Amino acid sequence: MPVVKAVTCPVCGSLCDDIELTVENGRIVKVKNGCAMCEAKFLGYCGEHRVLKPMIRKNGGLVKTTLKEAVRRAAEILAEANYPVLYGWSSTSCEAISVGIELAEEVGGVIDNTSVVCHGPSILSIQNVGIPSCTLGQIRHRADLIVYWGSNPWSAHPRHIERYTAFAEGRFEKSAWRSYVNKVKALVGRKKLQSAIKRLFVKKPAPVPPPISEYKPYPFITKEGRKLIVIDVRRTKSAEIADYFVQVEPNKDYELLQAFRMLIRDQELEVDRVAGVPVEYLEEVADVMVSCDFGALFFGLGLTMSSGKLRNIDAALSLVRDLNMRTKFIIMPMRGHFNVTGANIVFTWQTGYPYAVDFSLGYPRYNPGETSVVDVLLRKESDAAIIVASDPVSSFPRKAAEHLVKNPLIVIDPHMNVTAQMADVLIPSAFVGIEASGTAYRMDHVPIPLKKVVNPPKGIHPDEEILRRILKEVRRIKKKEEAA
Amino acid sequence: MMLVNLYPLKEFKLPVVAECINPDIFQGKKPKEIEGLEVWEGNKQKRLGELFKVEVAKEESVSEAAVITIHGDVSHVKRIGVGMKGGEIVVKGDAGMHLGEEMSGGKITVYGNVLGWAGSMMKGGTIEIHGNAGDYLGAPYRGSTEGMKGGKIIVHGNVGNEVGAHMKKGLIKIYGNAGQFVGFRMHGGTIYVQKDCGGRGGACMTDGTIVVGGFLESVLPTFTIEGLRKRVKIEEGEVVEAPFYLFLGDLTENGRGRLFVAKEPNPHLGYYEKFL
Repeated sequence: MPVVKAVTCPVCGSLCDDIELTVENGRIVKVKNGCAMCEAKFLGYCGEHRVLKPMIRKNGGLVKTTLKEAVRRAAEILAEANYPVLYGWSSTSCEAISVGIELAEEVGGVIDNTSVVCHGPSILSIQNVGIPSCTLGQIRHRADLIVYWGSNPWSAHPRHIERYTAFAEGRFEKSAWRSYVNKVKALVGRKKLQSAIKRLFVKKPAPVPPPISEYKPYPFITKEGRKLIVIDVRRTKSAEIADYFVQVEPNKDYELLQAFRMLIRDQELEVDRVAGVPVEYLEEVADVMVSCDFGALFFGLGLTMSSGKLRNIDAALSLVRDLNMRTKFIIMPMRGHFNVTGANIVFTWQTGYPYAVDFSLGYPRYNPGETSVVDVLLRKESDAAIIVASDPVSSFPRKAAEHLVKNPLIVIDPHMNVTAQMADVLIPSAFVGIEASGTAYRMDHVPIPLKKVVNPPKGIHPDEEILRRILKEVRRIKKKEEAA
Repeated sequence: MMLVNLYPLKEFKLPVVAECINPDIFQGKKPKEIEGLEVWEGNKQKRLGELFKVEVAKEESVSEAAVITIHGDVSHVKRIGVGMKGGEIVVKGDAGMHLGEEMSGGKITVYGNVLGWAGSMMKGGTIEIHGNAGDYLGAPYRGSTEGMKGGKIIVHGNVGNEVGAHMKKGLIKIYGNAGQFVGFRMHGGTIYVQKDCGGRGGACMTDGTIVVGGFLESVLPTFTIEGLRKRVKIEEGEVVEAPFYLFLGDLTENGRGRLFVAKEPNPHLGYYEKFL
């Protein structure tokens, strides 16, 4: 059986590129090195929800049709629209995104990618403050302190810790895996001992949890090697493996970040607790941050989508700026979709702006809040939409989704997802990274090629090819109108 | 004096960009010329006369500047009065985004609500809003650190987040409630919020004055208490007589901004009195 090596996994922003796939009769049968999400995608992509024929809505139902007819109908909708929306883009290749932007300019629409509902606030603050960052390779080999703020890589980016941070074996920094195993063994031993004592001696009544005011932070476990700090609203699996865990009150991240900035600048705080955490513990954590040689702060949607939004990131970036006066520190957003970084990069190199770009006046304009898709839909301004490789109906606010499906809707997606079920024109596409090749950007802005491992089903084309056909048809219609 | 009345011919659904609705541009133009001014509706270019009925009247007056009155809902019409230097605009209804952006003189009055970025980066003149205002009142556009440099904004209703961000000079008075991050990174000027404030007021401010007359959930830990004041002066002829806590900050930016918070509605800030 042929084994394809060094395949890039098209799931999360970590873009692990060491996957080995076994292919049999044109199907993937075995996945090596991947996490659970990677395995699920490579083994289950061709499941029962796969769409194999283009469809058009007729008399309220979706009817199978030819690709030519579906492309013609899609082009008509876009060419007639006065303010169309082009959304999605984060789960497809850079080449397809590039054609998508050309299409947006041609039809005078608003083009936006999924960062509008995830790391959009990060981008806004990076434009205001700036970002000291580096590649993940640097972190793997040199970072001796890792901070995860508002993100849970153990569940969302499962191989991030193992490949790039705490459990990675770097050239200059050792992996913390062994000490973590020892720690788990010790904890299991202690639990066994406690339960044995309990069984031997008189049973005590179950302990009542102490009130919040007496809450004591997680004790620091001394170990060698890299240190890991996790700051989150709940004790996640990532927090379990951390050396320091700071449990911040929900929606109080901004206060905590500003307090850290004060402590790092050696200024006194007039309060005893910030965001529910005692100041003495914060001082201890701040001390660890200042005394490291190379620190890396990763932040997730816990920061970007909680109260304060872009200003949380503003404070996080300022914190890292302050830390760089004392030591070396970098910061990086934990990007979700495998090519959301690529979407930002392609948008920027073609239009000058990373997301929420409005072409209605003929030139690109950018003002998230005004030109971002969710806000356009909430103000009920759009009159048509094309969705590529995304499922906004299941993730947008209800009012926005309602307006989206009320107008003509074109969906290009391999699966019959919620948005596809509401579509007026549905064109199935090939999976980028499995059935089509392309380029994607990792969360540290490193471009990585995506491989074509198997052939797509008959009659199914990649997003890029479908978009090119729609663009050609739109240009033909516009030319005809001009001539008339 | 030139009086121009604009009546929307339909209920707008698509966004309309109408920078031409500006007294400086209307000044001295014939009705036909005003109707021929360019606007954008969605991705199509149109004439002002296609979207509005235009009526022009002349009135004997010392002032030469034009007065534009819009009768009806123009909440989808963006950029009304952008960069205006004089004259007056009255909107009898709701107004859209970027109202009076970068204006340096004249007056805009709205008898309704306005959306975001009203009075953004303004340099002079007055905006009075009798309804509510959206986010980023008087704040700069995305990525810019140059906020309001002068002029006055009065809001009789509530406002959204980040009022007067990056403000350098001027006055914003809000007689209702305000959202989060009032005066974010402000360098000067005065913001007065008569009622409650959403928290994080004055975050990263370096100078200027913020006065909160109502409830403020918490003062950021990066502010230090300076003392108690019996009254605060908002502007010439407007003084608020009530005890106020005075905080200085933001210390993370080495700021000396003044944050006044009324004592009575905020008993939870009594904790700070031990430092006085």
